[in-house]
Amino acid sequence: MKGYTSLQILKAGALALLLAASLPVSAESEPEDIIKYRQNVMKANGAHMASIAAIIQGKVDYRQDLTHHVKAVQEINKNITALFPKDSDFGDTKALDAVWQKSADFEKAAKDARVNADALAKAVAAGDSKAYPARLKALSDSCKGCHKDFRKEEK
Amino acid sequence: MRARASLRYGVGRLARLAVGLLALALAPCAAGTTPPMDAGEYLFRAAGCEGCHTDVDAKGPRLAGGRRLETPLGVFYSPNITPDPVHGIGRWRDADFIRALREGVSPEGRHYYPAFPYPAYTRLSDADMLAIKAYLFRQPPVARRNTPHQLPWYLRLRPLLSVWKALYFRPGAYVDDARRSAGWNRGAYLAQAATHCGECHTPRNLIGGFRRGLYYAGTKAGPEGSVVPNITPDKATGIGRWSRSDLEYYLESGATPEGDFAGDLMAEVIDNSLAHLRKADRRAIATYVRSLPPISHAVRKARPANAKDEFDY
Repeated sequence: MKGYTSLQILKAGALALLLAASLPVSAESEPEDIIKYRQNVMKANGAHMASIAAIIQGKVDYRQDLTHHVKAVQEINKNITALFPKDSDFGDTKALDAVWQKSADFEKAAKDARVNADALAKAVAAGDSKAYPARLKALSDSCKGCHKDFRKEEK
Repeated sequence: MRARASLRYGVGRLARLAVGLLALALAPCAAGTTPPMDAGEYLFRAAGCEGCHTDVDAKGPRLAGGRRLETPLGVFYSPNITPDPVHGIGRWRDADFIRALREGVSPEGRHYYPAFPYPAYTRLSDADMLAIKAYLFRQPPVARRNTPHQLPWYLRLRPLLSVWKALYFRPGAYVDDARRSAGWNRGAYLAQAATHCGECHTPRNLIGGFRRGLYYAGTKAGPEGSVVPNITPDKATGIGRWSRSDLEYYLESGATPEGDFAGDLMAEVIDNSLAHLRKADRRAIATYVRSLPPISHAVRKARPANAKDEFDY
């Protein structure tokens, strides 16, 4: 088959540009939107954590759901720091200044959560149910620990 | 001959077994089990002394004071409660310690500001107070001088505190309510006397007295500018939708039924105090708190009583 003609390439290029332009792309996201996004992500995180706790404590028998809850928590906790970019502190946020001023400590707390989420996911993948309570507690403590130092209880 | 030899052999085995069992009974706990904490340390944890009396932000020495407590009335700095004889409480006799917690009066006869929650600690029994004192006196003494409070001039006159006390303070140890169960009374004792939940969760008026009829109903003007939730069993504005096991799990781990985790001051309370209590005691506290009259008092946006969505604060 012959190669494309330059006219075809030009048309393809124009089409691509048109498609790209139709997707809304802001050069910088508004801090308010970033705040709302991460609050929703955290709510999802919490909802999955509560579900995991209910299953592991034997309050409900949805053991088959454990995998997807744990996967969600694992994904969310992969990169919490990315949810707190610079300049996303303006607005209705409960994040303390320490998130940005003590960024090394914040990264450590985020890493703690990631490591513990991975450990829980690993235990669930292996079906090691005896380890679930301890793994859940370790992850819960990471959540609490980070909130203790970096989230204010003020509205 | 063979019979006698086997009898001696049997007795020998029994003797060795007895010695072995005795050794096991006297031996320290096996690896993986921690010895239960003594009564003094347990009450110390329940009362949450460490959180206020240690300057965590500056990584100050344990129990040596200096923690900054911002309130609507001014800034308080906690004192040194290590057994240092000059800067701490090393020279306090038992009667001094009891008087401080029961009556809110120092060994020199000066009134304490109720930032020190003696209106709660007054409910502790003498024995429990002295158990806490004994624990404190086993801690390492630290020669750290107390930081003076930062208060407006009109609040620096300690004799004025006798007026406040006349209005708002009723000293006296907890007395069981005979109409209630043992578990309820245990929970009431712990919550009122030791864990002193109401000191943060009950709103106060302009001069720091508790507002009537709002017991545990939350406040927007909590310590360090915090919003302190309504923890009465009101369904719309309190924790009325929490089951008892929800509340017990929260007191142990900080996890709400929505999977949110306590932050800030309450995370500290759980870490320093509530997580260390026996399960039965957390159950007792939950029983007590859930028995309180539900009070409609929205410190956060109120949810309609039949709302499905739990997530909006």
